[in-house]
Amino acid sequence: MEEYQSYIESGRLEQYVLGELDPAAQADVEQWAARSPQVRQELDELLAGLGVYAEAHAQTVPAGLRDKVLSRVLAEIGRPDAQAPAAAAPAPAMRVSASNPQPAAVASVPVAQAPRRSVWAMAASVALLLSLGANALLYSRWQQANTDLVAAQNSQARFAQTSQVMERRLTTTQEQLHLLRSPVGYKMVALAGTPAHPTARARVMYNATAHRVYVDVQQLPPLPPGKQYQLWALDKGKPVDAGVLAANTASGDSIQQMKDIASAQAFAMTVEPVGGSVGPTLATMTVIGNI
Amino acid sequence: MSDLPLISTPTVAEAALVERLRGGDQSAMTEFYDRYSAALYGVINRIVKDEEEAADVLQEALVKIWHSMASYDTGKGRLFTWVVNISRNLAIDKIRSRQHRVGSRTQGLDDSLAAQRQAAPDTFRPEHIGLQEITRKLVPEQRQVIDLLYFGGFTQSEAAEELNLPLGTVKTRARTALKILAKLIR
Repeated sequence: MEEYQSYIESGRLEQYVLGELDPAAQADVEQWAARSPQVRQELDELLAGLGVYAEAHAQTVPAGLRDKVLSRVLAEIGRPDAQAPAAAAPAPAMRVSASNPQPAAVASVPVAQAPRRSVWAMAASVALLLSLGANALLYSRWQQANTDLVAAQNSQARFAQTSQVMERRLTTTQEQLHLLRSPVGYKMVALAGTPAHPTARARVMYNATAHRVYVDVQQLPPLPPGKQYQLWALDKGKPVDAGVLAANTASGDSIQQMKDIASAQAFAMTVEPVGGSVGPTLATMTVIGNI
Repeated sequence: MSDLPLISTPTVAEAALVERLRGGDQSAMTEFYDRYSAALYGVINRIVKDEEEAADVLQEALVKIWHSMASYDTGKGRLFTWVVNISRNLAIDKIRSRQHRVGSRTQGLDDSLAAQRQAAPDTFRPEHIGLQEITRKLVPEQRQVIDLLYFGGFTQSEAAEELNLPLGTVKTRARTALKILAKLIR
């Protein structure tokens, strides 16, 4: 690696542009920059980049303050006595860090001394600064607390949603369990597969007094798209619509309450277009069973 | 090269302005003010975080720039770099003495990462490369480091301590961030 490259990689230039170096180290960087065009270029880029960053934060001086500042500056620089000694002052070099204090000569340049200096003003300033500091601290804590609160509220809302879903599922399951455990008045009607679908199996729980009908699928062939299973009650040889099966019922994941049926001697299922048909398509009959 | 009218890049007008300021032409100061005050005030205000105090520091900086103009070496760097450094140093001195008086270092209002992520600049001049443009190029972690170093007046080791990060990480982030910024105007 070339010598200038390792110098560029050393991080010294970044420290220079950020004002972290003491005057000796600064001079060293400047000598390097004078000797090596590559170092010069790198340094210029970093300075320019930081300049863009500074400029990106540009803020117009508030309207009320602009004239005040400008007129004071003009008054200050118009004073002939202030100009002479200061003109000889050395250039303020880049310097910001605590470890790199300002040379005393520069510090002694008389700049913009505020004329009014009463004890009260001092006391008020100190009080204001204390208050500013406390406000800053409280404000940052408040902001943090606010962020934390929003996060906590979000996760609380998420839990509430989950628990609602769980509750709904639990209610459904309990209803189904209740149905299965107290089959008083319910008749289990086994529906067996037709010759075309020998493995298909389902059952209907029918309460003739309450007219309630539930369907519980063990196995049904998969449906072609746009089709749905429809349950029919056969009353004196006449088919009566008992409703269509929801997808999770047809897949056997859930027991479904169907339409109320006043009287039936048998139940059967056919494949119908989504939404069901008025009359059964007999050719698609999948399961059937007598009470 | 961008065609945005960045004052951080030098122009012929800048050289003429420097000559007039050196010659003690006070009307040049008004021109200087109109051209640079927003950028300087932005940096100062970001450091001292108080409009009135920022205006005081700006006034101090302008007077200092006027008086030190004779010693400004055009060969050593851009005018903008030089004046922004004077302003920044004065602003940092201001918060240092404030911290000294308050007795403890008060955390900047928007130094936290959370604030960085939601921070919205209240005013910036859209004719310059916007803050948002820069924010997009720097990840919050890099901005946080650069802000501490540049606007907080922290050294890299102080920033490492403040952020509870290894010094190497701070150095890498600062370097990467500066590289990205440099590329913005390449």
